Amino acid sequence: MPKNSKDKDIAEVVSKKCSGCQACVGECPVGCIDIVDGVAKITAEKCIGCGKCVMICPSDAILFDKPVKKKAVKTAEVKESAIAQYQGVAVFIEVKEGVAADVSWELVGKGRELAHKLNTKVMGFLVGHNVKKIASAAISYGCDSVYVMDNPAFEVYVSRVYGTALTELCKQVKPEIFLIGASPLGRDLSSVIATKLQTGLTADCTGLDIDTQEKLLMMTRPTFGGNIMATIYCRNHRPQMSTVRPKVFKMPKSDSTRAGEIVPFNYEAQADPLIKILETIKIDAANAIDITHAEVLVVLGKGASESKHFPMFEELASLLGGSIACSRPLVEAGLLPYVRQVGQTGKTVAPKLYIGIGVSGAVQHMVGINGSEKVIAINNDKNAQMVQVADYSIVGDYAVIIPELIKGLKARVPNFLIQGAK
Amino acid sequence: MHIVVCVKQVPDTTQVKIDPATNTLVRAGVESICNPYDLVAVEAAVKMTEKYGGTVSVITMGIPAAEAQLRECLSLGAHQAILISDRALAGADTLATSYTLASAVSKLNESDPVQIVLCGKQAIDGDTAQTGPGIATRLGFTQLTYVSNIVGIDITKQTITVRREIENGSQIVEAKLPVMLTVELELGAPRYASLPNLIKAVKHEIKIWGSKELGCAVDLIGLKGSPTSVKTIFAPPPRKGGPVFDTSDGNDKAVNGFLDTIFQKEAAILSQILNTDGKVKHA
Repeated sequence: MPKNSKDKDIAEVVSKKCSGCQACVGECPVGCIDIVDGVAKITAEKCIGCGKCVMICPSDAILFDKPVKKKAVKTAEVKESAIAQYQGVAVFIEVKEGVAADVSWELVGKGRELAHKLNTKVMGFLVGHNVKKIASAAISYGCDSVYVMDNPAFEVYVSRVYGTALTELCKQVKPEIFLIGASPLGRDLSSVIATKLQTGLTADCTGLDIDTQEKLLMMTRPTFGGNIMATIYCRNHRPQMSTVRPKVFKMPKSDSTRAGEIVPFNYEAQADPLIKILETIKIDAANAIDITHAEVLVVLGKGASESKHFPMFEELASLLGGSIACSRPLVEAGLLPYVRQVGQTGKTVAPKLYIGIGVSGAVQHMVGINGSEKVIAINNDKNAQMVQVADYSIVGDYAVIIPELIKGLKARVPNFLIQGAK
Repeated sequence: MHIVVCVKQVPDTTQVKIDPATNTLVRAGVESICNPYDLVAVEAAVKMTEKYGGTVSVITMGIPAAEAQLRECLSLGAHQAILISDRALAGADTLATSYTLASAVSKLNESDPVQIVLCGKQAIDGDTAQTGPGIATRLGFTQLTYVSNIVGIDITKQTITVRREIENGSQIVEAKLPVMLTVELELGAPRYASLPNLIKAVKHEIKIWGSKELGCAVDLIGLKGSPTSVKTIFAPPPRKGGPVFDTSDGNDKAVNGFLDTIFQKEAAILSQILNTDGKVKHA
């Protein structure tokens, strides 16, 4: 075990494991840890060998052989009783133009699992105008109760109006968990509520579970381009808030025979006088490109950026009733619009069939395709990351492979109902 | 007009390598850059002051080395830069970060009232998109997220009009100042730094503020002020690759070998997606 010149046992950082999260920097009582070149570095001469950094490190990146007194995580009793008042799993039911967002039902489905483990109930938090039907649907999808705030002021989403209303609802109903879909609206809204309630919020979770021993929500999310997963706890604040992207959890089955309670929540909603929506420009629904709902995606990467081949890609997509999507370089080059971009800075997709053409498989892209059922790679580099992970790969020149593929598909499926590529 | 831009130092994800043995990212030695969305925010701020007059202040919370990113912002035309750096701030989650940055905006506001706070839509490392709305909520500023165009500012009416992207479209919104905007990349790429600005940026004094200067409550900053904590970090199980059909064995053989295999093994999925009666003719 290393010692410093004062003969103190000192801690050591394994830089390979360090994720640079800075937890140890904040925990060190003598300020002997710095982040240098992305990883923690301990100044041996200042270290007093207390071992606090070892306790806090989430990635076991700090070595310290001396036994460290395991301090039980104990919260003050007052706090515990305050936390005990919070019960139940709440789900925000997002309404867009009179229709509930699928992600809300996906979260109700997940909420049921969590509630079962906690032996508690699932509540829908519904905000909007003329949303009676959606309240009943929420019960069919699995809510035990639905709190409804129905008011003309909620017709169109405004951050401050929705944020204030839902904060009030949380204060009254006190859910222990509050889940919100990570749609653009949900991402705009969740941080407003969490800040007002002074509680923790974990964005874009890909896994939610219950630590049954501690009765805490385990929120797992990819960080740093998706190659590290972090499980995050919110111990001493309620509600434990989390957002989840669409398509991460399965859509539950609707059961119209389910029983539940619809609770109108009395709240004087006011329009926001500081903001005026002058115009709303809608993309025509028929032409709207929504790659997140596509069952088949033909995804173009940097290696498939010759626009003369685009008709061929479209033919393949239309044979399979799929859509064209792409990785970031094609958007940056102006070849395809941003709405078709898959990945960390684009959309998360979950098609049944993902066909990546010339997609190298950078981590920023891969994080957006994890939910795909089967991944097919067409790439001229057999060492490409995408080929390493794909369920099936064809290695070679796509300009030769794709016409063969189209021919082969047509030969095998004689009675194609040709749909236009979306 | 006084515009404050919040920027973040992030690892350059394009440089990231994966340790094949542990399937984790190798963080050591990866160069730090300014979050690309934040540079778009700096450019937008500079453009606004060029049109309407005023000052652009850039702030960042980070380790002393984040000074480099502030100098980059100065070279792009920002007028002053403040580094918020203090050990007590380390390990902050988004709630503690937005509190600290909001405290810094409030301090700047004392000497020169702030009309606009600009943030990138999200940072490319954490990807949470929470800090901007958190700052707006704390300051009581109107929040306008996903801004893709700044239509104009009416100085006499003290309003700003922007275009913001929403699901399936966009909105043109007019809001009373002060506002907090988070910006999309479409707003416009940052300019190239001019030589005089580069020289100015190197020489410019960067103020360093700690939590005491900001008057932050100790239990609201850093690790202590963070309701969320990371319990464990782990590498996701690697996705195992399947069969590879190589065209160096002949195009026809590879493609047909592939098709035969998937029509056999993935018949269930294919029957769901192929718009036919589900019957498949074998070649």
